[in-house]
Amino acid sequence: MSTEGSPQVQETPALQDRAAAGGVRRPQGGSMRALIARVLPRSYLIIVLALVVVAGTASSENFLTVFNIKNILITAAVVSVLAVGQFFVIVTGGIDLSVGSVVAFSTVLTAIFLREGLPTGPAMVLALLACALVGTFNGLIIVYAGITPFIATLATLSIVKGLSYIIQSGTLIEIKNQSFLNLFNVEIAGVPRPVLIFVVAMLIAAFVMKFTTFGRQLYAIGGNSEAARLSGLPVKRNLVAVYTVSGFLAGLAGLMLAAQLLQGSSLVGAGYELDSIAAVVVGGASLFGGTGDPISAVVGGLIIGTLLNIMNLLGVASETQLIIKGGVILIAVFFTTGAGLRTVRKLGALLRRPSPRTS
Amino acid sequence: MMTETAAVVEPRTETLLAVRGLSKAFPGVQALSDLDWELKAGEVHGLAGQNGAGKSTLIKILSGAQRQDSGTIEIDRKAINFHSPSDAQAAGIFTIYQELSLVPQLTVAENILLADLPQGRFRAVSWPRMRAKARDALEWLGFEIDVDAKAGSLTVAEQQGVELAKALHRSARVVLLDEPAATLPAQDVERLLNVLRSLEERGVSLIYISHRFEEVFEICSRITVLRDGRKVTTVNREDTSPTEIVRAMIGRQLRSSIMGGTLLAEAEESQERPRLGTGGGRGDAALEVEGLSDGSAIHDVDLKVHHGEVVGIAGLIGSGQAELAACLFGDRPRTAGTIRVDGEPVALKSAMGAIRSGIGLLPESRKTQGLVLGMSVGHNITLANLSDFSRSSILNYRQERRAGADMRKALEMKVSSLNQPAVTLSGGNQQKVVLAKWLVSKAKVLIFHEPTRGVDVGAKEEIYALIRNFVEDGGAVLLMSAELSETMMCDRILVLARGRIVGEFDHDEVDPHGDAILALCH
Repeated sequence: MSTEGSPQVQETPALQDRAAAGGVRRPQGGSMRALIARVLPRSYLIIVLALVVVAGTASSENFLTVFNIKNILITAAVVSVLAVGQFFVIVTGGIDLSVGSVVAFSTVLTAIFLREGLPTGPAMVLALLACALVGTFNGLIIVYAGITPFIATLATLSIVKGLSYIIQSGTLIEIKNQSFLNLFNVEIAGVPRPVLIFVVAMLIAAFVMKFTTFGRQLYAIGGNSEAARLSGLPVKRNLVAVYTVSGFLAGLAGLMLAAQLLQGSSLVGAGYELDSIAAVVVGGASLFGGTGDPISAVVGGLIIGTLLNIMNLLGVASETQLIIKGGVILIAVFFTTGAGLRTVRKLGALLRRPSPRTS
Repeated sequence: MMTETAAVVEPRTETLLAVRGLSKAFPGVQALSDLDWELKAGEVHGLAGQNGAGKSTLIKILSGAQRQDSGTIEIDRKAINFHSPSDAQAAGIFTIYQELSLVPQLTVAENILLADLPQGRFRAVSWPRMRAKARDALEWLGFEIDVDAKAGSLTVAEQQGVELAKALHRSARVVLLDEPAATLPAQDVERLLNVLRSLEERGVSLIYISHRFEEVFEICSRITVLRDGRKVTTVNREDTSPTEIVRAMIGRQLRSSIMGGTLLAEAEESQERPRLGTGGGRGDAALEVEGLSDGSAIHDVDLKVHHGEVVGIAGLIGSGQAELAACLFGDRPRTAGTIRVDGEPVALKSAMGAIRSGIGLLPESRKTQGLVLGMSVGHNITLANLSDFSRSSILNYRQERRAGADMRKALEMKVSSLNQPAVTLSGGNQQKVVLAKWLVSKAKVLIFHEPTRGVDVGAKEEIYALIRNFVEDGGAVLLMSAELSETMMCDRILVLARGRIVGEFDHDEVDPHGDAILALCH
């Protein structure tokens, strides 16, 4: 009397591919190499980015200039910060569609607080806090009301957008507070402040995901939330936390955007949620959760950003750019998490020398 | 089609279905290797083998649910390819699984004729014709079932009748039966066997899988024994005995093993059975449960597990084992009852709380509940106890790796590295990873639910040995299994039926076939 042996669930090849593509790496040698291997995004992303840079250099003499590189990075900064936040959500198997609205909300709040004479510090803290709370709200309705992340954050997108319009009540609000503008527009040792911000956010996120129990728990929840719960992990609390982080980072992205545009406006930010999701998936994370890393997510965004920059330099029409951007996302995801992954892995196995066994 | 040149002496010797060189591998397991096997027209053919011997895989391939890696399937000596279960059914092969696959919301008649509903005017379904056809098929089989009843409201035996009627209606040539009698009360088993005999007389070939030798020897004309995915032998019923079949099932090197000893004891009707625990009753109670209810599946359960003891919970699928396991692990709300660990009452409001109290659960489904498949072996091992491998939430990778390496060695895991994703491991090694998770979190009480399901024979022995080691070191184990031979190895056996504990046996009290336990299960 029993059900009989042999594996009950047949693993789909995709699941195994995901596993192999996930946070798990080959045996590592020295500790320095190990550290580099752990922190660096997957090598193929760097190769792809390098190829894009080579292509850019070949196609326009204006591409590889300090001015243009800074331009690319500054343009990518806002989406990069959002991609880091979005990564935290996606690694748990969720999605946050509200980030674009939250960006706009953040610019409006900041502009109003500054107009009302609040000092820069408190204005920013209040705006960030409000945005983080929007994220917490997302997390709470997902966890406790049992509404799927897609729908919950879609609703929040609309709610927050409406709130922004009401608070703004009229035309856009100019920001004249020089100390706020300086904070985000200065360069330190030739590095623009927005670039510094996204790099720092990315590195902190990478550290959290690799070296803290919180990060490990997020991979487990995204990989299999039931097994995570049955291993005693605080699944609900962590889910609320990731949406809060995403809201907070969207608020930060909003501050950066407000300083770039010198205004607060409820009209900005639309489409950023999709750009940030695109960055994360081009960076190799699966929307099912459990895989990827924040640095890859940012690099994924940079690949898209660099391609757009090249097309601008070449004078490609913006309509055409949209089509090419969509195509690039499809190709990238085909090779990172789609059916093309098998081909990539076969190629990789051919190129890779046999790795030593560790015991 | 090829014409047969050799004269056919007797219709029963004609080969209806054959597999040649059939192989199938899963990650870490060769489930079938190079299997040659034949089914004759109109015979009842028994498949014997331990769990993991390849019976289920063979059934799944023949029913079109899985595809072989290599080898061919032939019907009437013609190679045929199954891409889906409907291909197999079109070829006349029908499967009746232990867990039945009727649509519970539809009526009996609809279920029987689901694949080709009779149409009347305007291509609408003709209910009178459907009822008549369904009634004919059921009557022929000797079942009196209301064809307008919802399938979900029937007993298991009746549902089985409906499944058979469905196969019969679609002119089945081969019917695969995977443990058809396992969930049936004794009187229904007899009726089922009679129905199967009448199918045989009608020229339908049957492939019959059962752990119960009495049934196999009563109904099958030939028996094939599988072991480790290979065919050991095919014998006529008259020329063999249960002991011989068991010897073939377990092989020479496992004859002295725990499972081998258990199966042999059953076949030889001997009372000398191996036991998993240390003899039981030693020391204090590690886990005490009183009056546990969940308001639906579990009613007033009392049980005690002592240090050094393995207590088995015997019960059929659906008897409440899964719910009891979840309640004891804090993962299912309780409506009544107290639980004590080492004499201390524990709240058990969540899995987190249960783990803190020293309880660990090795769930029935390792893949969906026990492991994060995409994660590495090492990370899975430390998952339930990350606080011990971190300081101020910062992970200590070195300490984590050391613990993983210790476990890998102690449990003899067959992995190429601790970085290997859990998904690539065999069932046995996956179970070891789940066990390692609880060992590093220093659990005192382990709840095993179907510990050896989907595990090959060798790994099964290793898991039994690990359970034994755990209780010898003072641990306490509650082992839940629908497999009687497994629960019969425990120090004490509690029988669970419809969510209640209905009987208790000491290891040495149980008769060789466990008939006393089975009688209580129904």
